Amino acid sequence: MAERNTSFNIILYNSVAVIIGLLISTGLLAFMKINPFDIVARTLSKIFADKYNIGEIFVKATPLIFTSLAFAFTYKANLFNIGAQGQFYAGSIAAVSLSLLLGGRVPRVLLILIVFITSALAGALVGGCIGIAKAKRNANEFLVSMMSTYIVNAVMDYLLRTALQETKAEYMQTDAIVPQSYLSIIIPGTRVHSGFIIAVLAAIAVWIILDKTILGFRIRAVGMNKHAAELGGINTKLIFVISFLIAGGLAGMAGVTEINGVQHMLLRNFNSSIGSFGIGIAILANANPIGCIFASILFGFLNVIGTTMGRLPGTAIPASLVELIEGIVMTCVIIATALRVYMGGKAEKQRMKEGGEA
Amino acid sequence: MERTPIVELRHISKYFAKVVANKDVSLKVFPGEVLALLGENGAGKSTIMKILYGLYKHDDGEILIHSKKADIRSPMDAKKSGIAMVQQHFSLVSTHTGTENIILGNTKGYIPISAYNSKIQKLANEYGFDVPVDVKIEKLAVGQQQKIEILKALYLNVNILILDEPTAVLTPQESETLMAFIKSYVKKGNSVIFITHKLKEVMEVASRVVVMRNGIVVGERQREELEEHDLAKLMIGEEIVAPVRDSSNRWEKLPTILEVDNISLHDSKNTPILTDISFNIHASEIYGIAGVSGNGQDELCDVLCGLKKPDRGKIYFKDKDITDSSILEHNLSGLGYVPLDRLRDAIIPGMTLSENMLLKNSFSGKWSNKGFIKKIELNNYTSDMIEKHRIKATGPADLSGGLSGGNQQKLVLGREVDIGTSLLIFNQPTRGLDMGAVDRIHHVMMEEKERGKAILLISTEITELFEMCDVISVMYRGKILGEYRNGELNTDNLGLLMAGIRPEGL
Amino acid sequence: MTNLLYRTILMSTPLLLGSVAEVFSERCGVMVCAIEGIFLIGAWGGFVGTYLTHNAFIGIMLAILCGTALSALYAFVTVTLGQQQVVTGTALNILAAGFCAFFQRVIFGVPTSPLVIDTLPILRIPILSNIPFIGTILFSQNIITYLAYLLIPLSYYVLFKTSLGLKIRSAGENPVAVDTAGINVTKLRFLTVLVAGSLGGLAGSFYTIGYVGMFTTNIIGGRGWIAFAICFLGNWTPYGVLFGTLAFGLADALSIYIQAVSTSSYFPREIVIALPYALTIILTVMRSNLRVPAVLGIPYKKDN
Repeated sequence: MAERNTSFNIILYNSVAVIIGLLISTGLLAFMKINPFDIVARTLSKIFADKYNIGEIFVKATPLIFTSLAFAFTYKANLFNIGAQGQFYAGSIAAVSLSLLLGGRVPRVLLILIVFITSALAGALVGGCIGIAKAKRNANEFLVSMMSTYIVNAVMDYLLRTALQETKAEYMQTDAIVPQSYLSIIIPGTRVHSGFIIAVLAAIAVWIILDKTILGFRIRAVGMNKHAAELGGINTKLIFVISFLIAGGLAGMAGVTEINGVQHMLLRNFNSSIGSFGIGIAILANANPIGCIFASILFGFLNVIGTTMGRLPGTAIPASLVELIEGIVMTCVIIATALRVYMGGKAEKQRMKEGGEA
Repeated sequence: MERTPIVELRHISKYFAKVVANKDVSLKVFPGEVLALLGENGAGKSTIMKILYGLYKHDDGEILIHSKKADIRSPMDAKKSGIAMVQQHFSLVSTHTGTENIILGNTKGYIPISAYNSKIQKLANEYGFDVPVDVKIEKLAVGQQQKIEILKALYLNVNILILDEPTAVLTPQESETLMAFIKSYVKKGNSVIFITHKLKEVMEVASRVVVMRNGIVVGERQREELEEHDLAKLMIGEEIVAPVRDSSNRWEKLPTILEVDNISLHDSKNTPILTDISFNIHASEIYGIAGVSGNGQDELCDVLCGLKKPDRGKIYFKDKDITDSSILEHNLSGLGYVPLDRLRDAIIPGMTLSENMLLKNSFSGKWSNKGFIKKIELNNYTSDMIEKHRIKATGPADLSGGLSGGNQQKLVLGREVDIGTSLLIFNQPTRGLDMGAVDRIHHVMMEEKERGKAILLISTEITELFEMCDVISVMYRGKILGEYRNGELNTDNLGLLMAGIRPEGL
Repeated sequence: MTNLLYRTILMSTPLLLGSVAEVFSERCGVMVCAIEGIFLIGAWGGFVGTYLTHNAFIGIMLAILCGTALSALYAFVTVTLGQQQVVTGTALNILAAGFCAFFQRVIFGVPTSPLVIDTLPILRIPILSNIPFIGTILFSQNIITYLAYLLIPLSYYVLFKTSLGLKIRSAGENPVAVDTAGINVTKLRFLTVLVAGSLGGLAGSFYTIGYVGMFTTNIIGGRGWIAFAICFLGNWTPYGVLFGTLAFGLADALSIYIQAVSTSSYFPREIVIALPYALTIILTVMRSNLRVPAVLGIPYKKDN
């Protein structure tokens, strides 16, 4: 009973926080000397007038589900994986390399399967290194994961300039992969691809692991009280490594959905903020894997709003507005969390005052 | 003539999110007296004093100082009104020196450290406190740390000193020195509020006693009307029958379960923590280790449960060498352990009661099937446990963090008794618990002894040890100072041993 | 060689300011995880102030103001409300990135040519700057660099020799003791974070006013995090971070140098770019026995 009450409260407080965040952001549009409500109305009507635009919400949400899971998973073990961006890049490099190499030469289903596994492994490799640094040397995983992103980014830049560079050798990007390596479109007339379904399945799988299995129990136990978990016979260091391996694997898979599902090539600064958005989404979802699906769709929606606004004729709204909105929304959600806990404590205290008995 | 109180609390109430800490508490403190605040753990004594000291905000009522209404919002306000408090858990920065701790918040700008050192050392000497003030707190013994805490108050020239369970960390001999200090301090016209749950101390120093129970004041006695039985009844509310010890010594003929053979342990700075510890525990034996906190008991537990490996020596459990076994192997081999700090080491407050029961069984396969948790079976087991140990909870899905300390301890007890099929290790299992929970724990220990389990009881409470143990040994600075049958020792001897002194004739 | 060392000192300036900011706040128990955003908003504030007024001093002041404002928000959420520092930092870093990009557009629209400001003039210290070699490296820098280096002994003095420093260090070791001593822990931490924010803002402004003369949204590129890392590696002491900073400043200067001279496309010049980050990881992994402030990152909550 108490628990259901809590999840209801989380949804309530976070929803209100999101709405307040959106209102603040909308208000900021006034700085551009335009009527915010007019702009929002125009943007929304433009989005909902077109099936393609609605589809974009889910296209944008797909990699965010993966990166938010990558943060949420380690968060359950009380670890901070700030490096989902790097793990995503590792997955992207693996995905584009294999698709270029095998595209058209092996059957599509087999190729996609291989690409998924390899990309997950590539992401897990990066994540695993962070986990090992934490387990073996008690390094600050937050710092190491943050730095790892910059290193993977440098590796990617190098490859884009050399081995993987397009045949024309003009820009720092790869050749396009062949259509036989694309993820299939599941809603005609949009860019929504099968990666979205895989992302949702991944979230459900993560939920099952965390909530229903002994491994998930051990991960949560380590996250909530490392000392007690250790005395319970749990190898906390192994849990650190496993958590980071799985988180890295999840972020790596986002590489497939973006390369084989959307962009069909790898380029410089590819989707450069999905890692940090993932963190915000995970927090909005209170690190609940199922919540991550919905929060990702919300952020996908904000993303589409941002890009659509940026393209509205007669305004000069920067597409980076979406970052501003998401930053504000995240801040509001964090403040709402504090408020929810405070109000909860106050309500209990009030009950004590009236009832007087525990 | 009616004396004027220096401090008066009127109808103070304080509510926490989970408990009512104080309800309508009124009391007065007069100059030149030692007011003992007597009550069990959790009776609300510390809370009411933390309110007076400005650490907590009271929800109702008022505080009067020198008959004027005072608004004490922070310890700073309290100090300005001449009130200081030495808390049970010292509030000292362990990486700083005594001087730095004493002047914290009492200086401005540049700190001429050597001038302060000599000034404060002089103050310490004036009161006969034998403690170096320019040494880091972490290098001082607990008794010395307490002196630094008291110096913090003396440095500020306060006239009301609140001491919260000050003897808990002291040897009986150190306690006597403290009592002497208190007596001389109040002679100068100062007042001391002495929080305790020990009747003996009340009888020794108190000029007046206020007894608290469940957050309310249940009685007040003057010095001349003090009577131990009367106070005990006031404090506890109901008679509790201590379990009867089976003194037949039948364990002597039973096999040895745990054999600790000459183990030693050093810390990272190569200071010895444990030196040549040896003892045996038989089936159906309760082996007690007495000693003041911080003499290596916790580290001994760490070694016995597999958390730390000894530098030298061997540990045999049921004739098997377990010195290098992992914690997991210890758990699976039938060793149960109730650690000192349950919130840190034994339970996960954010998890449900069932999950806490699973915590030590996640490898035994008892409640898992192909890696999945058998939730229904686990919940049923937990419900049984709640009933069996009379844990106050609505069901297995409650969060363990929502239980009171006593109920949390009963939860741990139930789990460990099931895991520890041959040996149970208890490290101060009753510390900070109410009488009901203490009684439950003592009864369970006796039952398990009857069932043939070997039990190790580490305690600082002399009464508890005499009540429960077949054999008592004393730990002092990481060494065992002799091993005695229950009956060979009296309180005075045990007290001396705890202070590291071997009494004559023993 | 002279040029390289000169650049080392130059490039280490913002890292020094940023890591000293972290030393103060982390000694007090608060990791300023919004440091990347504070750097960025400082860079932006410095640029806007200087561009609009043609006065670098006003630019610097605006940078400090921006940094302080963002750190105030950070302190409110993490210190006053006691929320997760890492998470809050991430949110505010995104917020800062969006804020700067958005208001850059609000103020300047879509410019046809890049907006440029004059960088800070070099202040030659009389006599000292004439010393060969050393004079060029140490005494022909700009005002922010001098300030940053003066800050090191000053911080040491404040942290270890004064009452304020004692309070700050105690708050990071045992806030209960500080509270019991009658000092408001929340207020102390809040103010310390504000100071850190103002230093971080100044550090950020160095990139626009002191060095590049332009503003782009990726101008900081993780250097805030490096300042954060240096604080760890310098063992939370002002002189410790000085050494760390010089190492990173050298790597930074080297990378710019190599990028300028390398012509062969297969030469992995990215190694040099990645060097500071790799160095951070290596040092973090190697120095595992750091003296971390006991309650670093843990909010202080009174159970009231």
